[in-house]
Amino acid sequence: MSDVVVPTKTLNVCGKICPYPDMDTMTSLKKMNKGEILEVLLDYPLSVERIPRNLTKQGHRLISVENTGGPNHRMLIEAHGLK
Amino acid sequence: MAAIVGGLFVGVLFGFVLQRGRFCMNSAFRDAILLKDNTLLKSVLVAILVAMVGFALLATAGLVKISPSGFFWGAHLVGGILFGVGMVLAGGCASGITYRIGEGVVSAFAAAIGLTIAGSLTMFGFLKPIKDFLQKSTTIKVGDANPTLANIFGLDHTLVAIGLAVIIGIIWLVIALNNKEKPEKKVDVPLFTAIFKKGWGWLAAGISVGLVNVLAFYLSTLAKRSYPLGITSGWVGLAKLTIGFEEVKEGVATKYALGFGDYLIVGIILGTLIAALIANEFKIRWPGWATIGQTFGGGLFMGFGAITSGGCNVGHILSGIPQLGIGSILGGISIVIGAWVAAYLIFVRRNA
Repeated sequence: MSDVVVPTKTLNVCGKICPYPDMDTMTSLKKMNKGEILEVLLDYPLSVERIPRNLTKQGHRLISVENTGGPNHRMLIEAHGLK
Repeated sequence: MAAIVGGLFVGVLFGFVLQRGRFCMNSAFRDAILLKDNTLLKSVLVAILVAMVGFALLATAGLVKISPSGFFWGAHLVGGILFGVGMVLAGGCASGITYRIGEGVVSAFAAAIGLTIAGSLTMFGFLKPIKDFLQKSTTIKVGDANPTLANIFGLDHTLVAIGLAVIIGIIWLVIALNNKEKPEKKVDVPLFTAIFKKGWGWLAAGISVGLVNVLAFYLSTLAKRSYPLGITSGWVGLAKLTIGFEEVKEGVATKYALGFGDYLIVGIILGTLIAALIANEFKIRWPGWATIGQTFGGGLFMGFGAITSGGCNVGHILSGIPQLGIGSILGGISIVIGAWVAAYLIFVRRNA
């Protein structure tokens, strides 16, 4: 499914740890319009678990989390449009 | 011998638990404010309560001696706040940057080098006079003892520690029962997967950290160190070995020999490496030079702050507060204040 979704913007936070993957993701989402898709590339285990938990609280929607080998993950999120 | 075996053993356990439990105190304090997520904060509180009861029981059995950090308010405030600012820049607390080296996080290694350099300079280098001044000019004692929540009122330590843990536990339970939070979705997975492949829940992580700390206190007492978990002094110990630091013992200059706290650091990195390899989460992560510079700088603040304040987040919050040390309580609060100020300046204002 996820290959049909075309991301509006890609955020690569590989190599970054506590708190940057989370904060950068949330900041990017805030600046996006409703329905736009953010693709996040990350390799920090804690954020892989925590970002999905927190973004729903802001009203964003998690489309998919895909493990792309080892700790690498690709996350697709639909922005709620808080701008 | 007790130092090597005990330090490495506890270190490996601690590293394993930190990696699996995703235990991160830097995130714990920040998440609660910025993301309104107090999952990690609950984990920290559980670890403190378990250690508070465990330490008191060990002390009552005569197996350890409660040895709270000294109380020097000026040094706790200045050092703690600088440490808190540093840990936000470094992307992890003292335990966080140490264990993530075992996950292959290069920026964590850069932060640890910064922490070690500044910590060493503060312990025995040109920054020492600043630390000594801040500590000596603001020291307060109860008789000959370092003040704790028990001895300032002349009360028995075990009574206060266990009483306090029970009261906090009951209050928490009442709040939790009234605040009908939706329980997290439980997914049934085999035990091996739950332990070695998935991140642990906050309760399991908190209890594990607390129990490892209780074990650390006992084993470090056997190694004649007599303090639970701590991070910064271990790094400084490794630096002393590297530069061939000599101490004068009974009039004779002696080469520094590694102790419990130093082996603890080696063990933490090993334990994390093992956990990360099993979970397939090990990867050399290169974040770019700008991040390396930032985390190294953060490490410098942390090193000076921890040695000046007499403890890092682990020494004060995980080990000192459960011993009811007033110094650790103030040191811990200062770290949180520093972290919040830094997080506010970096994240909230930047995005405003």
